[in-house]
Formats: sequence, C-alpha cells, structure tokens
Amino acid sequence: MPSYADLLAQAEPARRRIEALDRPRIAVGVDTSSVAAGARETLAAIREAVSQRGLDADVDQVGGNGLSFANPVVEVAKAPGSRVLYQNVRAEDAAEFVDAALVRGEVDNRWLLGALAGAEGVKRMDDHAWWSIQKRRLMQDMGVIDPEDIDQAIARGAYSGLERALGMTQEEVIAEVTSSRLRGRSGSDFPTGRKWDFLRTSTTTPKAMVCNADEGDPGAWVNRMTLENDPHALIEGMIIGGWASGADRGYVYIREEYPLAYERVVKAVEQAYERGLLGEDVLGRGFRFDMKVVRGAGSYVCGEESGLIASIEDGRGMPKIRPPFPAAAGVFGQGSNVNNVESYHSAAWLLRNGLEAYLDPDTGRNAGTMMFTLSGHVQRVGCFELPMDATVRQAYEVCAGGPPAGRRFKALQPGGPLLGIMPEFALDLPLEPEAFKERGMAAMGGGGLVFLDDSACIVDLCSQFEWFLEDESCGRCTTCHGGTQRMVEILRRIQRGGGRESDAGKLRLLADTLRYSNCIHGQAAPAVVVNALTWFADEYEEHVLQRRCRAKTCKGLIRYEADRTAASRPQHAEALARANELCLAVAAGEASEACLDCLVCRELLPDVVRVVDAFESGVGAAPEPVSVQPAER
Amino acid sequence: MTSFSGAAKRTEATVEVRQLLEGLVPGEGDLLEALHRIQHRYGYVPRAAIPAVAQHLRLPESRVYGAVTFYSEFRQTPPPETLISWCSGPACYIKGGEGIRLVLEKLLGCALGENTPDNRLGLHLGQCNGTCDNAPQVWVDGRVVGPLTAAGTVELVKGLKGAAGRGRRRRPAG
Repeated sequence: MPSYADLLAQAEPARRRIEALDRPRIAVGVDTSSVAAGARETLAAIREAVSQRGLDADVDQVGGNGLSFANPVVEVAKAPGSRVLYQNVRAEDAAEFVDAALVRGEVDNRWLLGALAGAEGVKRMDDHAWWSIQKRRLMQDMGVIDPEDIDQAIARGAYSGLERALGMTQEEVIAEVTSSRLRGRSGSDFPTGRKWDFLRTSTTTPKAMVCNADEGDPGAWVNRMTLENDPHALIEGMIIGGWASGADRGYVYIREEYPLAYERVVKAVEQAYERGLLGEDVLGRGFRFDMKVVRGAGSYVCGEESGLIASIEDGRGMPKIRPPFPAAAGVFGQGSNVNNVESYHSAAWLLRNGLEAYLDPDTGRNAGTMMFTLSGHVQRVGCFELPMDATVRQAYEVCAGGPPAGRRFKALQPGGPLLGIMPEFALDLPLEPEAFKERGMAAMGGGGLVFLDDSACIVDLCSQFEWFLEDESCGRCTTCHGGTQRMVEILRRIQRGGGRESDAGKLRLLADTLRYSNCIHGQAAPAVVVNALTWFADEYEEHVLQRRCRAKTCKGLIRYEADRTAASRPQHAEALARANELCLAVAAGEASEACLDCLVCRELLPDVVRVVDAFESGVGAAPEPVSVQPAER
Repeated sequence: MTSFSGAAKRTEATVEVRQLLEGLVPGEGDLLEALHRIQHRYGYVPRAAIPAVAQHLRLPESRVYGAVTFYSEFRQTPPPETLISWCSGPACYIKGGEGIRLVLEKLLGCALGENTPDNRLGLHLGQCNGTCDNAPQVWVDGRVVGPLTAAGTVELVKGLKGAAGRGRRRRPAG
C-alpha cells in the first residue's frame, strides 16, 4: 500500500496545477448553489473560449466557496502567486471574460470581486468586510480544489492529519480532540472527544463511525459545503475517529435532497480506496477501515441519530427507544458513534494543524471556528466561516449585509424549526452555544441562521413550522404526532380569526406534554410556539384578541381591496394589462376578467390593490365555536 | 391468481428487478439503495417490485412496503411528465412561498403530492437544500427557478402548460 509520502509525490502535478506553476489556471466554482446560477454552463463556455483561442491554460472545475450572492464565481491564477476572484460570470460572458482576463491581462474588469494574492493595485478580497472577518479553515480548500480529484485534495494537505494520527495512540488522539473542546457541530454540543472515548471503551464489537450528513434543518447547508466541496476532509476525519475509537468501518448517511453531494462523496470514497486510504491496510499501517455511503430518501427524523441508525437498518427511519445508546448498540447492533459532518471535518483540521493552531481564537468556553449559512431577509446569502468569538450581529450585518432596504430586523431562527425563534437581543449574542443557552434556548444549532425582518408574521411562522414538524413526525408516539397536529389546528384557527383567550393556555399545556415524546423531535417541537408566547407576546395577542395580523400575512385576517377608479388611470395601464393576462381566476377558468382581488394583482398593482388588516368588531372574524374548557390545575 | 399474461408480466418485471438488485445483500443496510435503484429505473416503486426486494434482502414484505411509504421521496405511482417541486423552507416561505404554492395548486387543480389528471404536470413538496439566494423558488424537473413572484408563477405554469412553451423556463420576467 502506498505510504503518505508516496501519495504526496503522486499529487505533485496536482499541486503544480493548483498553484499555476506551469500555466495559468481558470477555476470555475461548481456546487449546488452555483449550478443554480448557471456555473456548469459558464465552465463549458470558458473551456470553449480558451480552446478556440488556442490558449495554454488549465480550465478546472472546483468546488463552491460559499459566496452564493456572487455566483457563478471564477478564480483566475494568471501566474504563480496571483489569484483573483471574479463574480457573476455567466456563460454568455465567457468569451469577453477570457479575452479580458487572459488575453488582454486586464485584471480589473466588470466582473472583479477581489484579489486573494498577487495582482497588486487591484481591489483585494480583504477589502470586503464580509471576507476579512472570516477565518476560513474548514473552508480553506473550498473553491480551490476540484472535489472530484483526490490528488488536488492531497496536494493541499488532505490526509496529513490521518498520517499524524496513525503515529499516535488512541488515547493520545482522543486527548487532543478533548483538549480542543470540539463539541458536536449539529447543535447537540456534546464533547466529541468524550463521545469517541465512549466508543473506544465500549465492549460491543465490531464498531462503526457514522456520519450524520442528513442536514434536514431548512436554512442550513453547512454540511453540504463540506460534502460537495471538500469530501476528503470528512473521510479523513472519520478514519481518524475510527483509529481513535477502534472502529473498522464507517457509514456516511446523506440526505436524498443532496444528489451532487452524494455523487461526490461516493466518488471520493472510491478514489480513497484506490489510493489505499480506505480498505484493509490504510496508508500501509496495518489498520483496516471500510466506508459505506447510504443515500436517504426524504425524512427529517433521519437526522436524529437513532432515526438515522434505524434508516440504515433496512427499514423506516423511526427514532428508537433508548437506552441502549449507539455506543453500546448502534447500526445492526454494532457499537456506533454518530457525529455531524462538521465535527469530523473539524477533527481532521485539528489533527492536520495541531492543537495550538486550533485553539486560536479561544474564548475560554469555545475555540476555533464554525461555519454558518445565512439566508432569509438579508442582502447577501452565503456560507461564511467565523471565529467562535464573533457575534450574531457581525454575521447579520457584516457578512449578510443586514436587512433589505427599508426593513428592520425582527427575528432570528438560529437552527431549524426545532430550535425556535429569537427576538432582537439575539443580535448581541456571541456565536457560542453557552450564550444561547443562557437566554433560554436549548442550543445554538448547526449554523443555519435565517433572519426575518418586519414583513414576517411570527404566528404564521409558528403555524408553518408546526405543520412541518407534524408532517415529519415518524408517528411512533401519539404525544408527538398528536401534539403537533393539535398545535397546528389551534394556530390555524387563530390565523383564520378564531383565536380564543384560552389558546395560550392550551398551547402551553401541549408544550408541557410534548416533553414526554420519545425523541427530540416531539420534545422540541413546541419550542417555536413557546418562544413566540414569551418573546413576541404582543404580536400573538394581537392575532387572538384583536383579530389583527400586523405583518398582513394571515389570510383569515386580511382581505384585498381594489380601488378600481385608480386602476383605470393611465399610469397603471401596462400593469393592468399584465394583470389581465396573468389573472389567476381567468387562468383557472373561474372568471372572464381580472377581479383585482388577490395576491397576484396585489403584486402587479401595489398602488391600486391594498391589504386591509383591521376589521371592525363583528366584521370578517370567524364565529366563536362552543368548547369545553380543561379544568384549572 | 391473475391471468397467465398477468403472471408472465410479473415474472419479467421480477427478473428485471432482481438484476437491478445485484450486489446488494441482506443485513448490510442496502434497502434504501435497492429502492433508489428501482425508482431510478421506473420513475417510481411499483407495488409488484416489493416481493422481489423483500426476497432479495430477506425482509418481510410489510417492512419493505413500510419503507416505501415512510420516505417522502419514494413514489408509489408514476411521476408526471414535468414535476414542479415547491420549496417549503423558511427563507422561501418568508419571501412569499405560500402565495406561490396557492397559485400552483389553483392552476394545476391539484395539491402537493398529486398530478394533473392528464399526468403532464405534478406538484411535489420540496425541502430546503441551500440555494436560498434564489428564494422564493421552485424546482422544475430538478432545476431551480427563482426568485419567483405569484405573478411570475402564473407565467411559469402557463408556459409549462402551453404547447409551445413546454419544457424549462429559467427565470420568467417579474
């Protein structure tokens, strides 16, 4: 089997290619985000343009670098030491772009984003605050290497951590992971070193390292970044964990909604086997580790570790009754350790670079970095890697650019529907789990931050999240699937104008009862509602007692009113024509001309169709049905 | 039992399914892969395929059926010619996703998870996959279309329904 030194030597041409030592390199970032922006077409068009001009340059596919707002992103390394990033390079721009950047050598052109290195006199990437604030460690190779070429990963340091770990004892590796204070990056926050030690000391054999790449929390694509753009970092982390815990096999469970991630991880595993990094004699050190990639099929609860295990075990992914816990009895009864993608990735970085490098910065409670995906009502959507001493406000304002013009921050969803929703004080929190827990949250989450501005309705959000959680409930325990169903019913009734004073009490009772669910899905399901009742009480009460939705969203509490005289004025002629063309009622065969009574016309003629959100008592509200009140406790 | 011709068709299908399952073994976590391969081949998991899967992986048929119905991405009926997947994620939702869904359901005359009567179009409940810079969005046969408005959705569906406009529309105006 090749040694690590052999692999490095084999990767030398790849290193030369990445560093543009022999010829210029044009690298087009291709991942799910940039594909949506046309990156594959850009890559093909640039290849065509370079070939047509007979230029001697490498045109590579590389991974995405997280800058969704700038996609398609292209990096040009014209000469060694010169690296410049360009944004929004579309396929139709390719010829002009190649002429400008390569043929004429105009570094500064209309696509320029910033220089990473070299290219003096040109705007730097560090001039962008959203770039310079980042500490891109886990992301250091994203957008630099082709994730489908193992040599490029090795050239950049992949598996150097494994090489180092194989020269340490199990206890030494675990001690290093423990000293780093690395904790579960899905939001579970459990110390990773201790978890690996559970498996090491478990008497159950064989043992397996399991990677939770289900990432079902909407708004989070942190794990997708690693899976698609640096899969070898994950594989390395799992093998290191296997070495430390005595496991000889690994499972990577990838959600169905990430097909490109699945493809690339499968390919990476194949290439790792080819290079002897997986198999019966890893790096020639007599250590055996096998890897299996399992593809999910659409189920949020398969992101819960026992649901994930159940899903691998040839069946429905229903979370299990515990104990026993995975270290004692996991996948098919094997001792198992389940960790998030980013936890393994962080462990690989740690072993590659050492404890001292990892512990900078060190807040006392946490060290190192974490990746965050920012979306929602923000100006810049993307994935950013921040040091553990950064704040939510920095993520929101510096990285994401704050709310859209004319809007104000209203709420933060820090980690999927189960973690709840936070008001303005969240902005001042450091991005550390302890800070969130001190304010009453169960955790900080896996890094998927969704920001809401004042156009969002909290009650509507609660209703939508509870519906999602009900839909995804596995059904094992009535507490969960019945409890979420009941919460949806109450919230929807409130949204229709049938809110009652007793509803808050009922919702709290449901929240209390849901604590007895079998797994975290039911247990945490009421979080968003409890948060709303605590931190957005006046908005909630407005819906119930005044039948008013201040964000003009809840359909039972608003209606559209068209000023038809205004509609016929000349300045609205074009929009009115479009409204007639796109009339929903006409298209559905229900009317012969636009009635101006719905959302479509509201969008097309905002000055003509207004949203009425306040009703006189008795008008527009649903009638109060009779009900039996629960006894007071 | 059914007629001879029915039995013959079942046998052919069973042989084909067995070929698809080659290399998969019981007790190693291959059920999801088995079902993925079948759906990839037929566009859905036919009821008739379940016995072959159960036999190959030494599982009760009820367990295989349970898996097919548990996971949202396995279909039990053939897919439509063009599938519109609506994103249910929070970023899309707060930027007008609900309005898009209502327009889709009204114009197609069916709910999420259903097809139009002629099976040309169908709706699907999609999950967030992190292309939130396009919010609010849908996927048309797996391709992202967004940001959309309710008006733009009307245009999109008309384009998909119309004879000339059948196929992909990336970014409808408005």
